[in-house]
Amino acid sequence: MVLIAVIMLYPFWVMIGTSLKSEAQFLSGGGFSWLSWKNLTATIPVGQEVLSSTIVCTASILIILAVGLPAGFAFAKLRFRASTVVFLVIVSAMMVPLQAILMPEFVNVTKLGLTGGYLGAIVVYAALGTPFSVFLFATYFRGVPDELIEAGIVDGLGYFGALWRLVVPIAIPAIATVTVLQFIQIWDDLLVGLLFIQNTSERPITVGLAVLAAGRTTSIPELMAGSLVSALPAMVVYLVFQRYLVKGLTMGIDR
Amino acid sequence: MSVVTINGTTPIHRRGRRLSLRRRRQVAGFLFALPAIALVVGFIGVPIGQAVYYSFTEWNGLTSTWIGASAWTQAFHNSNLWTALQNNALLLLAVPFALGLPLLIAMLLHQRVVGWRIFRSIYFLPTAISWVVLGLVAERFFAYHGTLNSLIHAVGLTHVSTNMLGYESTALSALGITFVFTMIGTNTMLFLTGLATLDPSLEEAARIDGAGRWRIFRSITLPHLSRFIQLAFVMTVIALFSALFSLIFVMTGGGPGYATTTMEFLIYQTGFDQGAFGTAALYGLILFVLTAIVGVVQLRLIGSEE
Repeated sequence: MVLIAVIMLYPFWVMIGTSLKSEAQFLSGGGFSWLSWKNLTATIPVGQEVLSSTIVCTASILIILAVGLPAGFAFAKLRFRASTVVFLVIVSAMMVPLQAILMPEFVNVTKLGLTGGYLGAIVVYAALGTPFSVFLFATYFRGVPDELIEAGIVDGLGYFGALWRLVVPIAIPAIATVTVLQFIQIWDDLLVGLLFIQNTSERPITVGLAVLAAGRTTSIPELMAGSLVSALPAMVVYLVFQRYLVKGLTMGIDR
Repeated sequence: MSVVTINGTTPIHRRGRRLSLRRRRQVAGFLFALPAIALVVGFIGVPIGQAVYYSFTEWNGLTSTWIGASAWTQAFHNSNLWTALQNNALLLLAVPFALGLPLLIAMLLHQRVVGWRIFRSIYFLPTAISWVVLGLVAERFFAYHGTLNSLIHAVGLTHVSTNMLGYESTALSALGITFVFTMIGTNTMLFLTGLATLDPSLEEAARIDGAGRWRIFRSITLPHLSRFIQLAFVMTVIALFSALFSLIFVMTGGGPGYATTTMEFLIYQTGFDQGAFGTAALYGLILFVLTAIVGVVQLRLIGSEE
């Protein structure tokens, strides 16, 4: 078990070890230096990129929740005509990889004028994340008793009030699951950020790293320092909300 | 329910009110679902339709010319497509490892030795890291002055040195090994959850009846885990078809030659490096069909459950 732990910690060891060397020390093999960390912000605009990642993640997740919560509620409790079929169509959209529709998507979003800054990526992430959140919320809300909602309606809350005041407060664990899963997914993603944010000064950190790495001219120790910075937020979120992650992954078979 | 008058209202009256209430509920439900429907149809549904149309055209993103079915025959005569499909097929060989190793690790964790919680956290930690970063680290591992060669030299084979990412014959294997590593966390998590739902008294009873470890694993643990294994299988195959982009982008750029170009990377290259949007849309449809097959298998699995 210790051996496996060593293997799983290998990436961190490489990142920390390599980033604590200068370029020359890295090439010769030995040594220790803070130089790469000092030069980091000059080579990679880490601050700006972390900010971009945060903006894109936050906005996308807010849309996913704002769209997914009412839809999940509707499919679970306010069944309308053909709602089962519509639900199945939305859920099966989970299986469509972005690459399969990449070209039309890119052209459409460009024509809408959204690929300059954050907006294009936000919309695409929101659309890709919605099916899963609808599925998860609908599954979760099926467990809410009908009487509770009917009581709310009778009390004059209205449907929106019932959703906001009665359903959302009990759905906090499901909301946490969606938020954590989507945060890690969007923070770590490359393809959407790479193509749908053309303005290089608004690049998320994962994209910034990947582009520098593919260029093969950047000092590897600095690249590793940047990698470590990019990995930290997702790792913290993961360690704090571990149990929500597990819940989300096994959703649907572990009822 | 018997038809009686309550509070002076006639049955007909009541029925009318209930219908209108039901109708209002349906309208509310539809309106609540509408934003999600619009988002999914607009940004996933419509592009599928467009991809079908554009796959029959020559398209540069601005103007398209209809060339009909010959677009498809041309595509199937392109050797790059077959190389990419072959690479995807070869990478499927990594799937047993991406399932087997996590199963083994989950069984180890399930023994609950001292400190197992800490080990669990450590094993899952790479799951949080971007595949871009893991790709960068993997590149260091396989590099000429990297960890792999140090390990080989450490066991005494000082005259042997590899550079797996540098050769067409080995680059795909290096990518496959990296893929297995990136999947370990998620799949272990799945299997561990599965094992937690296993009733320990079953194993206990089998042990008392004299069943060996292997026998218990074969007859009790494995059948119990089957649904979790199926789910992990589907997720792993889908990841293999559609999540390798980051790894390929930073590790090999699809090369050397086309040695690590998979379907998803071919779509990106064809569209954005060569500007052949129509052909890229066509390749996208092929990828769509491949994942749809996996999806149908999954739907059947879910169906068989209920």
